[in-house]
Amino acid sequence: MPQFFLNKRLIILLVSIIILVALIGFSLRERENVTWPEQFLKDMTGWVQNTVSGPTQYIAGFFENVQDLQNTYTENKELKSRLDELAFLEAEVQMLQKDNDELREVIDKEGSLSAFDPVHAAVVGRNPDRWHELLTINKGSRDGVEPNMAVITSNGLIGKVKSSQTFTSTVQLLSSMDPTNRISAAVQVSGDKKNEKVFGLIEGYDEKRKLLLLTKIPYDAKIEKDQAVVTSGLGGVFPEGLPIGKVVEVTPAEYGLTQTAYIEPGADLYDIQHVMVAKISSMSPEIQKELQRSNEEEDN
Amino acid sequence: MRKVILPLLFILLFVFESTFVQMVPPKEFFGGERFLIPHFLMIAILFLTIYGSAKYGILYGVIFGLLFDIVYIEVIGIYLFLFPVIAYIVSQVMRVLQNNMVVTSLVVLFGVAVLESGSYGMNLIIGRTEMTFADFSFIRLIPTLIINLVFIILAVYPLKRHFEKFIESLSE
Repeated sequence: MPQFFLNKRLIILLVSIIILVALIGFSLRERENVTWPEQFLKDMTGWVQNTVSGPTQYIAGFFENVQDLQNTYTENKELKSRLDELAFLEAEVQMLQKDNDELREVIDKEGSLSAFDPVHAAVVGRNPDRWHELLTINKGSRDGVEPNMAVITSNGLIGKVKSSQTFTSTVQLLSSMDPTNRISAAVQVSGDKKNEKVFGLIEGYDEKRKLLLLTKIPYDAKIEKDQAVVTSGLGGVFPEGLPIGKVVEVTPAEYGLTQTAYIEPGADLYDIQHVMVAKISSMSPEIQKELQRSNEEEDN
Repeated sequence: MRKVILPLLFILLFVFESTFVQMVPPKEFFGGERFLIPHFLMIAILFLTIYGSAKYGILYGVIFGLLFDIVYIEVIGIYLFLFPVIAYIVSQVMRVLQNNMVVTSLVVLFGVAVLESGSYGMNLIIGRTEMTFADFSFIRLIPTLIINLVFIILAVYPLKRHFEKFIESLSE
């Protein structure tokens, strides 16, 4: 028995397993942002990644351009047919925008949850082991990027900022399996009762079918295929109305108390080059008042 | 001079893995269905263990494992543990086996398989994946082994020469 404990290698192994468990526990707990040594290392590698990704992007872009040339003719045809629609849509949008402004003035409401300032960023790297779907982007807290902000592409929401450093930040994709990765979402139900919304949580990802799971939908809500899913803005961090995807299938949840919907993400979660970080520009006046009041109470 | 080249080579591979995932595999072929995970850094560490010295291999395993965890995964511990342990196992295995290029390549490929399965196991434990083992082996393990085998075949000779010269320069 004493010989067993004197075995140096065994002791090293045991100690390192203890350290390993401690470290994993340390990094799995919910934390606001990563610690400063981590931030420093991430910024340093971000800088290297930035310099490497420039030339590679150029080379990859060249091959892509050659491929694009082959499809130009058919694409051009299709785009031309859409052009007529576009002019009509533009006019409608302008009209609606004006209407919206006027109505807002009537009810005396300033700002809305859906307003945000986009911060444009390029993706410089991606987590090579794709268990944790994380991206590195080249904008950090210097440009106003902070943890938990929504990250979108032109096709819809792709994830949120997990941690931000001075010059780079890390984005966690919707497809990342993480119990803390939850987003409040709403299904836009069209039909007899217009503009009704059904709320749920985007939580989890079906890796095999490549679909997002929208859980905690009330059991009596009638959701159909192809209905649009958007962010609800209820969390206070994400702007309202960012498109997420479309409903593919609805099933009752485990205990039959709620429903779960499978959502096909609108944005491509694989091929991402450029993203926008949605910085909320205005808080709703009620929340601002609430915050002020609680601050005053703390002061007293 | 050689002392500077070695860390530079590893840093380059470290960054290249991320760029590889981001750019190289075209979506039409692999993106949707299969995961091709580059483990080029692990391959280089294992060749360093075999052709260089086991001590250096394990040391680089610890350093780059920690860096990998902090920069890419934000869960410290997974690769910090796997990289040096696999380097150690490979160094022990190579004591028994013959030291020719085909055998070493196969041993390194075996190391990559252990790494991929090990990271699958750890992520299963901490609840970051719900894949079954059958799904894992078809979607991830086999495509990963194929892409890494290609890299091993391309890299075995230059890495062997470089690491052997590195060790010679150390003993001088």
